Amino acid sequence: MIQVLLVGADNNTFHDLESVLEDKHISSDRVESGHGALSMISDKTYALVITDETLPDMTGLEFAWKMVTVNPMINCTAISSLSAEDFHEASEGLGLLMQLPVRPEKQHAEALLQYLDNILNITNRSAVQKGDTP
Amino acid sequence: MENGRIAVPSNGQGGLAGTRSGHFGHCDVFTFIDVENGEIKNVSTLQNQEHAQGGCMVPVNLLAEHRVNSLIVGGIGMRPLMGFRQVGIDVYHDAERPDIGPVVEDLISGKLPIIDDDQVCGGGGGDGTSLA
Repeated sequence: MIQVLLVGADNNTFHDLESVLEDKHISSDRVESGHGALSMISDKTYALVITDETLPDMTGLEFAWKMVTVNPMINCTAISSLSAEDFHEASEGLGLLMQLPVRPEKQHAEALLQYLDNILNITNRSAVQKGDTP
Repeated sequence: MENGRIAVPSNGQGGLAGTRSGHFGHCDVFTFIDVENGEIKNVSTLQNQEHAQGGCMVPVNLLAEHRVNSLIVGGIGMRPLMGFRQVGIDVYHDAERPDIGPVVEDLISGKLPIIDDDQVCGGGGGDGTSLA
């Protein structure tokens, strides 16, 4: 069972995401601040963290930068109003799964979960592969 | 370096006479160099795995599972760098020389620097830097 952490103070932002997670019986936690989220990922294992564009104490991308220094193994995606090109530039090196639009809808949540499943499968495959090729 | 396994992201078939890939997440193969008592004892290669956006931990897990101790990169993103540190793989940096042999010799003789945090680059797995 995977666990998802939603980071953001705006209740409307995660409405559709939470609905899809609930439909798929995926457990999720919610925290408003970046520092609160950093504390939570230190104490609990999450497969995915979704951060809003702006948090009460930092931006979503600032949180993502801090998160990779705390636990780089956690997959992260960010809500952003930037253009795709600007988002790519701003998030380089963070290894974010994808950019979500402001107020993501159910279709975005479905696409994200499908992508997460693909990433987890690839990661698990690489983690169990044994033996060198000559 | 006295003992251990070095990994070098490589183009084509890899090998000690081969060339380095500037984008480690998208390299064709990893060249493994096994070092014993400060000398090269064995060279092998490992096919890289599928690389997808956000899949930075794939090469981290892959190299950790193959008992790699040190990695030489031309460029790397913050997330995979943190991942390698977390699994205990030292990441060394050389953004200039395209050939595998000279940088491996420098690492073994202690002349290659560990990458600093301010030398990370983008692309979720390293970008092209100056390597081909």
